[in-house]
Amino acid sequence: MKLKLKITNYLQYILLIVVAIIMIFPILWIASSSLKSLIGISTYPPQLIPKEIHFENYVEAFSRGNIFVYLKNTLILIIGCTTGTLISSSIVAYPLARMNFAGKKIMFALILATMMVPATATIIPQYIMFSKFRWLNSFLPIIVPAFFAFPYNVFLFRQFYRTIPISIDEAALIDGCNRWDIFIKMIVPLSRPTFITIGVLSSVFWWNELFIPLIYIDSDRLKPLTVGALTTFKNLFIQRWDLQMAMCMVMILPPMILYLFTQKYLAEGIKTTGMKG
Amino acid sequence: MEHDGLLTKKNKRNVRENITAYAFLSPWIIGFILFSGVPIIASFVLSLTKWDLISAPRFIGLGNFIAMFSAGSDFWNVLKVTLVFTVFSIIATLTWSFFLAMLLNFKLKGIGIFRFFFFVPAVMPSIALAFAFQLLYNKEIGVINYILYLFGINNGPNWLMDSHLVIPSIIFVCLYTYTTGQMMLIFDAGLKEVPKELYEACAIDGASYFQKFYYVTLSYISPVILFNLVIATINAFNGSFSIIYPLTFGGPGDASRVISLAIYDSGFKTFRMGYASALATVAFIMVVAIALLQFKLSDKFVYYEN
Repeated sequence: MKLKLKITNYLQYILLIVVAIIMIFPILWIASSSLKSLIGISTYPPQLIPKEIHFENYVEAFSRGNIFVYLKNTLILIIGCTTGTLISSSIVAYPLARMNFAGKKIMFALILATMMVPATATIIPQYIMFSKFRWLNSFLPIIVPAFFAFPYNVFLFRQFYRTIPISIDEAALIDGCNRWDIFIKMIVPLSRPTFITIGVLSSVFWWNELFIPLIYIDSDRLKPLTVGALTTFKNLFIQRWDLQMAMCMVMILPPMILYLFTQKYLAEGIKTTGMKG
Repeated sequence: MEHDGLLTKKNKRNVRENITAYAFLSPWIIGFILFSGVPIIASFVLSLTKWDLISAPRFIGLGNFIAMFSAGSDFWNVLKVTLVFTVFSIIATLTWSFFLAMLLNFKLKGIGIFRFFFFVPAVMPSIALAFAFQLLYNKEIGVINYILYLFGINNGPNWLMDSHLVIPSIIFVCLYTYTTGQMMLIFDAGLKEVPKELYEACAIDGASYFQKFYYVTLSYISPVILFNLVIATINAFNGSFSIIYPLTFGGPGDASRVISLAIYDSGFKTFRMGYASALATVAFIMVVAIALLQFKLSDKFVYYEN
């Protein structure tokens, strides 16, 4: 019996390791290719460990591409959108989690419903609206909506707020506090981990987002990294795999490091999405 | 009299509480009207016009839809590709994320490390994933054809340039996206909530591994499956753009042109705003229809504790 258990454990470990290799293989391949010369990448058979290390790919990628400008723009988007959604979504979620009011069910249902509307379904009229505002080719059509709460983040805040005992609000109300005071002085400080979770989720999202900035931003000096990368180091005739993979490494390292250090918060946030109630 | 006084006092408090609640909600309500409500209605209206953004929009009734559904229209291909991609990418990502979650529920030391590795591709930008797979799928220098060669298949296909293989190839890349990782973590949490006593009771009754899996695991977490099914569906429409666009631009030919790419092309490449809105309307109706169908089916298959 014990021996059988041991063999099962070994087989389980082997299966886990094989699947883990499959899952991280693209990352390994980006890392390895970013250190190869273009000839090294084209060598057959392909090699996981580069024969010679070409760190200069990174130097060339940074000096030839606009990566620094793109990086700066990505950071502006992340800071703007994350600040916006943290402020607005945390406020909007409060009554949904901790107050009783007429129309609460309808409001919550509407928020859930808008989570399901695909961005492509609303992008055309939004684009026309922002063009009337003369906001095209700026960060405004991307950052301003963040200050009006994203349904998904409202939903997450609401789920977290519900885990805080409601007696806190009731006691404070009896003491004569108003709802805003309760929110600012009690709920926000108690929700620090929630703010970190949603801040991390939002940062990763805007680091990775392609579609929305692709629609609104044309000029090269305003493009975030994802949009800029689309046309960097490749044209119709040649794809500079070596430089492109170095750029990919620049794109994947920051979210990976962030994930490494905030794994607990990130996993918690995602799991909460599936929570009942 | 005193009774009435109390009531009005209570009413007053209720009114004030309602006003406060809506004040808190106001950012979202304004945002909802501006960024969701008005655009959805505007999209319906725009779909009835012809507009290139330069001259004034012209009302053409159902003209866009008639053109869309006419026999020679390229919309039929878009519809076919979208449905095939949506159905099979949902099945693939749902199954794979469930499989990963099952693995993460092995009772082993160091399982947390594997959770990290299984989820880490999910935090990458899909465009980096797309570039990596362009290299991996490359006919001459790609690793995937090299692996095929090791198994004795000499002339590996040109995955992303073959109109029959491009959709399965894209679906494989979807196993690495954020949605799949997200569903894996949600399944993982769901599986941990299955009461152990149920398995024990099953074991006493002499159930086989597959019986246990079917009657206990699957039925207990069926609400989680439904939830993930909805996530996968939304993402098949929403997230597909950021993976397919950098990977194939909809090619070869039109073989991977799903509806989000078609909307992007007709809206922002050829500036046919009316036609693009008509496409968006169809996409919207498709998502709603599929979601409703899933909820309908769920009445039959989903088991709720209460």
